[in-house]
Amino acid sequence: MASSTLPRPRGIIRSSIALASTLALAAVLTACGSDDGGDSAGDSGSGDDSGLTTVSSGTLTVCSDVPYPPFEDFDDTSESGFKGFDIDIVQAIADGLELELAVKDSSFDALQSGQALNANQCDIAASAMTITEERQAALDFSDGYYDSQQSLLVAEDSDIASIDDLDGVKVGVQQGTTGKVYAEENATGAELVSFPSDAEMFQAIKAGQVEALLQDLPVNINHQDQGGFSVVETYSTDESYGLAMKKGNTALVDAVNEQLSEMRDDGTYDEIYNSYFATE
Amino acid sequence: MALKRSTRRTLSRAVLYAVLLGVLLLVGLSADWATIRANFFAPAGIGNPFTGDWGTWPDLLTVGVKNSLIYTAVAFGAGLVLGVVLALMRLSPVAAYRWIATAYIEFFRGLPVLLVVLVMAFGIPIAFNGWTPPGGTVGAGVVGLILVAAAYMAETIRAGIQAVPKGQTEAARSLGMSAGRTTITVVLPQAFRIVIPPLTNEFVLLIKDTALLFVIGFAADQRELTTIARDFMASSETAGTATSLIQASILYLLITLPLTRLVSWLERKQQKAR
Repeated sequence: MASSTLPRPRGIIRSSIALASTLALAAVLTACGSDDGGDSAGDSGSGDDSGLTTVSSGTLTVCSDVPYPPFEDFDDTSESGFKGFDIDIVQAIADGLELELAVKDSSFDALQSGQALNANQCDIAASAMTITEERQAALDFSDGYYDSQQSLLVAEDSDIASIDDLDGVKVGVQQGTTGKVYAEENATGAELVSFPSDAEMFQAIKAGQVEALLQDLPVNINHQDQGGFSVVETYSTDESYGLAMKKGNTALVDAVNEQLSEMRDDGTYDEIYNSYFATE
Repeated sequence: MALKRSTRRTLSRAVLYAVLLGVLLLVGLSADWATIRANFFAPAGIGNPFTGDWGTWPDLLTVGVKNSLIYTAVAFGAGLVLGVVLALMRLSPVAAYRWIATAYIEFFRGLPVLLVVLVMAFGIPIAFNGWTPPGGTVGAGVVGLILVAAAYMAETIRAGIQAVPKGQTEAARSLGMSAGRTTITVVLPQAFRIVIPPLTNEFVLLIKDTALLFVIGFAADQRELTTIARDFMASSETAGTATSLIQASILYLLITLPLTRLVSWLERKQQKAR
C-alpha cells in the first residue's frame, strides 16, 4: 500500500498546515481591515457640503438607553418599535430631514462617554442626556430640548425629607448621570451606590439596599405613580437635555438645531411635550 | 453505649433530617411570601394560558431565547474553527507558531469576557476606520466571545489531540500516510470524540456568556435573553418587578440543564468504553 506515493520530506506537510493556519488568520485580519464602511466612517468631519452623511445611508440611526420611561420605552405598535418623548423628538427630526428613523438600545455609559458615537454605532444619542461641560469635551450637543430637574425618591414611610437628611444614608444613582454628579456635590455624607440603569435602581430601593434614589424627576415620578414611594424634593439644575452627536459633526448639529427650532415654531414641540408632561 | 449500632444510625439520620426541616421552616417562615409573589411572580408577566394570556413569555422566547442561541451558535462555530487552528499551531514543530498560539491562549484566558466584549464593540470600528463586522455592534460583541471561546477550546482540543494514543500516529505513518493526512484522517477524528463532553460544557458556558452582550448597543429585535429580562424590569406590564428575571432564569435552565445532563451521560459512556 501507498507504494506509489513519492517520498515526501516530513516537515513540509506540517509546516504547510502551520502556514495555512497563519494565512487563514491573516485573511481574517485583512478582512477586518478592509474598509467596507466607506467614507461614512473615520475622521471627525463626516458631514459634507452636498448634504448629510449618516452611518447608514438614508437612515437616521439614534442610540438610546431604553427603557427609561417616559423618555424612551419599547412599543411594538410604533413604526420604529420605540416610543417616548425623546423618540418622538428624533422621529420629528428624521421626518424633517427626510430620513428613516432607526433606534438602537445602548448602555448610557457608552453614550455619554462618546464611545458609541465614535464607534459609528449611531448618528445621534438621544437618551435624556443633560448637556454638561465634561460631556462637551467628547460630544457635540444640539440646543437643549428639555429642561431637566433632579429629584429625590424615598419610600412613603421614610424619615428622609430632604437632601440634608442623607448623612450616612445609602443613595442609589445611575452610573454616568448628572444625578450622580449632583448627589456627589450636594448630598453631604451620603453613601452613593451606582447602578447600570433605573431598572436595577428601583429593584434596589424596593429590596432596601438603598434608602433613596437621586435621578431625573420624570423617572422618579413614574415610580411614585407605581405606588409605595414619593418624590420628596426636586432640584433645579439650570441644565437641559441635548441630542449628542459625534465631535466635529457640525453639519448634523446644524441640521438638527434647525429642525428643533422649526418644531418650536410650528407647535410640534409643544404637542409632543404636552403628550408626556402636561400638568392638568 | 447500650444502643445498637443500627439504632444509633437511625437516630443520627433522624437528627440530620430534623435539622434540614428546621432550616427550611425557618427560611420559609421568615420570607415575605406576599412580596415575593408580587415581585418575582407578577401575574401580568406569568400570564394565564387558559385565558390565552401568555404574559411576557412570547417576547422572551421569540426574541430573547432565539438571539441568545444564535449568538451562542455563531460564537461556538467560529470559536471551534479558530480553536482547532490554534491547537494545531500549538503543536506545530515551528517554534514561532507555538509561541503565537501560546501567547494568544494565555492572553484571552487571562481577561474577563466582559472586558473583551466591551473593547471589541467599541474598539473594532474605531481601529478599522468605522468598519464593523456583519451584524454591526452585536457582531463585534460576538467577535469578542469568539476570541475568548477559541482560547479555551484550543486548550481542550490540544489535550484531546495529545490523548490520542501515539500508536495511532505511528501506525498511520508506517502505512505510508503523510503527516498531514494522519492528522486529518486519524488523529483529529479520534481527538474530537474525546473532547465532545468538554466542548459541550464550553457551549453551555457560552450560552451564559451571551448575557454579557448587554453592555453593547442592541436594536429591539437583536436583544438577547438577559437584556430583555432587564428591560422588562423598567418597561412592559411587569415594570417595577423582577418577574422577568425569574422567567429568563427558567428559560436558561431549560436550555442548559438538558445539555449538562447530556455531558455527564457522554462522560459515563466514554468511561465505560475505556
